[in-house]
Amino acid sequence: MSNSKTLIKIKPNTYKNGDVVKVSFMVMHPMETGLRKDKKTGEVIPADYIKSAKFEYNGKVFTTMNIWETLSVNPVITTYMTIDGAGSLKVTFTDSKGTVEESSEEIKPKG
Amino acid sequence: MRKVLQIALSVLVASSLAYGSEQFSMSDADRALYEELLDNNPADMMLASGSEHLDALGGTASLAKYLEQSKDSLASYLAGFPRYIDKYKSVVSIDQMLQAFMHDSGKKPYALKSSDMFDISSYVKSIANEQPINIDINANEHMKKAYALGKEVFNTRRGGRGLSCYNCHNPGVVGRILRTQPLPDISAKGNASAATWPAYRMTKSNLATLQKRFQGCMENALLAVIPLGSKEMTALEVYFTHEAKGAPIAIPGLKR
Amino acid sequence: MKRRDFLKNLSLSAATLAVIPTMSFAADEKPKGSNALAYKDALAAITGGKTPEPSEKVSLKVPEIAENGAVVPVTVEIDYPMTDSDYVKAIHIFAAKNGNSRCIDAHLSPANGKAMLSTRVKLGETQEVIALAELSNGNFLIASQSVKVTIGGCG
Repeated sequence: MSNSKTLIKIKPNTYKNGDVVKVSFMVMHPMETGLRKDKKTGEVIPADYIKSAKFEYNGKVFTTMNIWETLSVNPVITTYMTIDGAGSLKVTFTDSKGTVEESSEEIKPKG
Repeated sequence: MRKVLQIALSVLVASSLAYGSEQFSMSDADRALYEELLDNNPADMMLASGSEHLDALGGTASLAKYLEQSKDSLASYLAGFPRYIDKYKSVVSIDQMLQAFMHDSGKKPYALKSSDMFDISSYVKSIANEQPINIDINANEHMKKAYALGKEVFNTRRGGRGLSCYNCHNPGVVGRILRTQPLPDISAKGNASAATWPAYRMTKSNLATLQKRFQGCMENALLAVIPLGSKEMTALEVYFTHEAKGAPIAIPGLKR
Repeated sequence: MKRRDFLKNLSLSAATLAVIPTMSFAADEKPKGSNALAYKDALAAITGGKTPEPSEKVSLKVPEIAENGAVVPVTVEIDYPMTDSDYVKAIHIFAAKNGNSRCIDAHLSPANGKAMLSTRVKLGETQEVIALAELSNGNFLIASQSVKVTIGGCG
């Protein structure tokens, strides 16, 4: 099992070519600021956050993001995209430790 | 010193109990912004993982068979928990039923307080989404007794400040603001707590069940914390669930 | 049943601890973390010193009162075309008084169809949240709103 859980949601659920739809990406991540202390040991919990995300639709990058530790734990990010053919939406994200992961969702326009 | 602090705190609590018109209450526009967060509830990821846990046990088909339900009757049956189940000889919530299901399937049951259990039990309750809560407290003597005990737990003043659940959750204080939050009407006429838990807690960044939330509330109100799955805790869930009877289930909720 | 009998009947194993809510006091020098960047420096780095124009085209939706500083919803929508020749290149969100004032930058393209960015941010204290839109013609539009962060109540 991967250590990150992700979810991509497209709203509305049904769409056709040319529609501009909402795309939300969420990921389970602690988004540690590096400022918190462990309540038991008193030691500083090292910073650990997602620092970038790349949105790619059928191989074409349409949005990139720089992200900092100031986003809430388990971040949710929403933007729009234009539906242009069946295929896949891929979100690649990198955390502050350099780990790169990806999540994808099938795009199935109706009509 | 502690005593002084406690007195100071109780004054603080009392003075921050105010009606909605005060400056620290949120506007309707603000509340609408928070409502929108439900569209993308981080707990959706946790329920997705709960769904995978259930698949490992044979999925909904296998759960329906275990509960002697058809594919169509499962949702409505799940909307009736906590319920008395004869083969266990006790009134159980969904999580304890799942422990028995895991055990009877030859798997090691998840601990009641584990996140795996929160994930799977929340997912299983969400199978009943949109179904009205149909708990039947008159179904048998066991349910009658559980309801009576739950009501007693709800109304008994205890702990450092002699508070009962009733103190902050009674019709007389509904809508008053406690630290920006209106005290909720737990009944089906209000926010029907039992229908919207398990929920994602924004202050904790995690998914919690109704019983886990009761524990947090007890802890903060200086009441001895009742263990998850104990007779008293299950009874309290029975009481809360009956209060919200008829309300459509909407899991996962999203709470402060 | 008397209250004391009732308590005895509760199947409690753990001893009860009185929980005193933690109170935080402002320290002389707050740690700001390795990414610390003040808002005016962050803004200048993006605009290259150009003054952003306050604009009603930038709709910034944040609560006036945040019920919890750990999860504050922020939605920015720019009323601007998204054509190949004229579009919103980027949306930046800042929290003026956070140690690191930057929250997120989204670099958009006409394929987005609509210039919008929505997320949830942490706010350490009451402060201004700012949305900056960078246009393809090199201009910047800006909007801000103050968010009051209240202390958490029960849990």
